[in-house]
Amino acid sequence: MSSDSIGNNEIERKDDSLLFFRTSFTKISFQDVAAVWLRNLQVYRRMWKMLFAAPLIEPVFSILAFGYGVGSLIGARVAGISYLSFVGAGVLAFTVMMRALFEMTYGAYFRMVYQSTYDAILATPVEVESLAFAEIIWAVSKAAFDSIVILLVLFIFGAATSLFSLLVPLPLIAGSLFIGGLSLGITSRIHDIDSFNLYMAIFFSSLFLCGAWFPVEVLPGVLRWVAWVIPLTSAVDIARALLTGKFLWRQVYESLYLLFAAFVFTEWGMRSLRRRMVV
Amino acid sequence: MDQFEKTSKVIYRAISASGLTKFYGSNRAVDGIDFSVLRGETFGFLGPNGAGKSTTMRMIACRTPPTAGELLVEGINVRDGGRRIRSMIGVVPQENNLDPDLSVRQNLLIYSRYYQMNRMEAASRSDELLRFVGLINRAGSRIEELSGGMKRRLMIARALLHNPGILVLDEPTTGLDPHVRQEIWQRLEELRSRGGVTILLSTHYMEEAEKLCERLIVMDRGKILASGKPSELIRESVSSYALEVRDADSIPLLPLTPGVSGTKRNGAHFYFADSPETLAPLAKEFDEKRPLIRPSNLEDVFLQLVDGGEDDCEAI
Repeated sequence: MSSDSIGNNEIERKDDSLLFFRTSFTKISFQDVAAVWLRNLQVYRRMWKMLFAAPLIEPVFSILAFGYGVGSLIGARVAGISYLSFVGAGVLAFTVMMRALFEMTYGAYFRMVYQSTYDAILATPVEVESLAFAEIIWAVSKAAFDSIVILLVLFIFGAATSLFSLLVPLPLIAGSLFIGGLSLGITSRIHDIDSFNLYMAIFFSSLFLCGAWFPVEVLPGVLRWVAWVIPLTSAVDIARALLTGKFLWRQVYESLYLLFAAFVFTEWGMRSLRRRMVV
Repeated sequence: MDQFEKTSKVIYRAISASGLTKFYGSNRAVDGIDFSVLRGETFGFLGPNGAGKSTTMRMIACRTPPTAGELLVEGINVRDGGRRIRSMIGVVPQENNLDPDLSVRQNLLIYSRYYQMNRMEAASRSDELLRFVGLINRAGSRIEELSGGMKRRLMIARALLHNPGILVLDEPTTGLDPHVRQEIWQRLEELRSRGGVTILLSTHYMEEAEKLCERLIVMDRGKILASGKPSELIRESVSSYALEVRDADSIPLLPLTPGVSGTKRNGAHFYFADSPETLAPLAKEFDEKRPLIRPSNLEDVFLQLVDGGEDDCEAI
């Protein structure tokens, strides 16, 4: 028995050295992901009223303030569409990303440090990659749910003018995978909840750059490049195109870039949580 | 015959460690220890904080890989059998980590999913365990409404959910009041008497180790200082009787008569001998300090083994 397991051990190590890059995705068990995801749902379900109220209140007021308030000052069309539609896409992306951000920063930190939920889960057969992926997927699920609720609001306000709008959650799901992975990676690396302040400051500043409130094209040269490097810019641009049915070629590249960022940062989030929890 | 002996050893050992080592940077948390635990045994890790008890248990429960050495749990190497080993082990960590937002029963049912148990099985097993730990009437209560002892009992129930062959308890009664400690001990003794489960527990309470453990190792600074049955350790390491004089820091240690050994620690004098009669004359010298002659206990062993010198002790 013992010599058997030593043998296996050697084989596994050989496999490791053969591969240049071994992704954490191969260590995920989807049954385990489902178990963790259901745990989060069961805890969250107790607060079901929040489920609808939270994604509605802020976006409705943002759309009223920007779409009608600022929109009445603008008069002209922005990037070929009404400012209401333009900013509607921005509000949608902003709210959804923020949801993923908070879930994987304060929410994850709370479960990891204050409640030791991660410790409890990792004492079972669940591997840390499954746990990390379930957490990110949970954040993405909340974000996706919000995006559907806000989309309904946008229909009612007349900001969604195309049938392609129904596909708007897709780029936002990719965007929240990126934000979820990035945030979980950062949460795994901090040891003090106040350290989130810097990350929050950078996140909210970058949202001003990424075309949520005004077109990226009006930015000066260098800032425009910075804006396009931030994957959220692509998510906002694709969401806006789907909302109005006006597509550009660049959105093909944006989609690829967004998927790439989602993959890289989900991977990074999983690795970071392993580094933090398996010591 | 040789072959037979070899296999039978593997089979009857729940855990065997050789040269087991864990470094955190340059800190040697566990420094090349060897030990084995027999199946069905209650085995203790005794030592002060930072001795390496928790780290050893974390390696056994496959929460952290060893830096060096070999560790087999039920014959499976921890380096590649993590998932399988964790499905055979139930863990009660030092800190309770129940889900505070959920009820007692929900806590168990949610946990059962991590072991891929089916619903019927999970429900019946949960009720059975809630009865065992005396919480069946609190099944619908929220965690916040439970007392410290109830939470601890629920932690034990949760660790037993998937019928593990090995139960790992990291300082199960630290921070609990004496009454609650008795309660926990009672559960563990009951569990032990039922048989079939190997129990590993770490503690820095001598009383607990003496009462519960069939065998134990004494650890300090990542190394094993002694191992054996509690009664053997007491017999081998110290004489059968002890004279304890508290609050005698300013008094020098008395000259030792034949058959008496003595030591001074934390402001108290300890003298050891094989009979209370030998110690009686010494006790008279300390009449006003209310000296106590008693049978030696594990704490005496511990005091002698875990050195660090008097200065260290005083610094603490």
